[in-house]
Amino acid sequence: MRVYLEFAKKSFQNNIVYRMDYFAGVINALVMIFVNISIWKAIYEEEESLEGVQFKIVATYIVLSFLMQVVYTMDEYFIEGKVRSGLISSDLMKPINFRLYVFSYNVGTTIFRLLMQLMPALLVSIFLFKLLPPFSTEMFIFFMVSSVLGYLVLYNLNFIVWASSFWFYWTFSLVTIKDAAVMIFSGALIPLWFMPQWLIDFIKLTPFDSIFYTPIRIYLGQIPQEEIWTSMLRQVVWVVLLFGIGQLMWKAAAKKMVVQGG
Amino acid sequence: MRKHTFWDLTTLFFRYTKLTLKTTLEYKFDRSLITVAIFFREMISVAVMFLILLRFLHIRGWEMQELMFLYSFLFLSYSLFVFLFAGVRDFDGMVHSGDFDRFLTRPLGLLYQIIAARVDYPATLGHGIVGLVLFFNTAFAVGIDWNWQNSLFYIMAILGGAVIQASIFMLSACFSFWSVRTENLRNLIFFNSRRVAGYPITFYPGIIQKVLIFVVPFGFVNYFPSQFFLHKADGEQFWSGFVYLTPAVGVVMFLLVSIFWKYGVKNYKSTGNAMY
Repeated sequence: MRVYLEFAKKSFQNNIVYRMDYFAGVINALVMIFVNISIWKAIYEEEESLEGVQFKIVATYIVLSFLMQVVYTMDEYFIEGKVRSGLISSDLMKPINFRLYVFSYNVGTTIFRLLMQLMPALLVSIFLFKLLPPFSTEMFIFFMVSSVLGYLVLYNLNFIVWASSFWFYWTFSLVTIKDAAVMIFSGALIPLWFMPQWLIDFIKLTPFDSIFYTPIRIYLGQIPQEEIWTSMLRQVVWVVLLFGIGQLMWKAAAKKMVVQGG
Repeated sequence: MRKHTFWDLTTLFFRYTKLTLKTTLEYKFDRSLITVAIFFREMISVAVMFLILLRFLHIRGWEMQELMFLYSFLFLSYSLFVFLFAGVRDFDGMVHSGDFDRFLTRPLGLLYQIIAARVDYPATLGHGIVGLVLFFNTAFAVGIDWNWQNSLFYIMAILGGAVIQASIFMLSACFSFWSVRTENLRNLIFFNSRRVAGYPITFYPGIIQKVLIFVVPFGFVNYFPSQFFLHKADGEQFWSGFVYLTPAVGVVMFLLVSIFWKYGVKNYKSTGNAMY
């Protein structure tokens, strides 16, 4: 366990070095929030609420979603880099679990983003964009749990794409297409409730809405207490399912490495 | 040194194009996949716009077709810009790797070589296809009479928009002569401004509008030229001459940056390392 904590710490420290990236992350998020709030303001114009949804609810949804995106940003090319440079073979020889190693690396980065990027962006959002407080303290706790689950859903989905670097030399295209799918279907850019019904029905069959939509709805108090457990159970099921697929791919990849001779 | 005729330069340009095409096609599968990926990445914001308008039909008097027409300018001009100026975009790296020093030893214009020697086909196509999809779905539905004057105006606007964006990138490239890296800062300013410009600038507070007109003039890349065609009411708050200014803004910016560029080339001292 200690060794994985050490990996997480290393990755945290790695992030501090790239000051410009750090700065850019915060600015990009704030500009995106600003643009989207302006558009929604224009849509609402003078209206207080549209289709039963108040402007301040939409604004809070947008702010939360982009703040979560800051925290959910992962190093998409970590495994690809290892595979391409050949470092993977020496990593596999070490007495560590490689999957756990990748995970702890990402957790380190996430904690960095939580402390260094989310905090300033959150403060600006509260003052500038009038982020609403959570529906209740209870809901806030559920929101935190659900966000962690959402993170795990995204992480395990990502891992499947990352593991494909054992078969494809470059994964830029796959990662980008995956990102596009996540951005649209997870409700990260537009609340799902404004989407056409057929699209919502489709999304309900995918893991995407578990990533952003479920936690944000809990924060806003839109999910009744008795349904929260089923929503979170759905998230857990997706984590397990995607983890399983990732594990199968990882096994196949390790086998391929052996065939290649590392 | 013999002066190169225009004809020389054109044939040479096509030779360069053949070369860059060959390099790209060396990895056919990978490059096609990258093109598809860029297409999808750029379609995200278009899809969001589509979904919003599907529900709300119009935003402040702008209908879906009109907003998409406005958006098409951004993609088409970016595509043209990246086709011509990928070398300017990647100039930081060119100086760093010593590629630029090779250009200096050749009897040809520097900018010419930078433009001709590097083309980013996946980005050109990825953005270009999004632009064309938007254009052909909207251009004949928003009440534009495509006579020759309007067509010419449209082409000039796209060209001007491309030059405006090229000038922004070239300004940042100039700093490479003193090995000051501005790539990250440039991306931050450029792509965030582009994001903001995706919707009519009247949706934003006055200060942002001013920035997009006078500082990072994306307003001239899409908002003003599209107002020439659409005549939306919200354009009346701006000086009516703005809609014609896109090519002029492009030319002026480019000339100003060229002066800085020439000054930079004169003061350039090589990094001393060449990768080849």
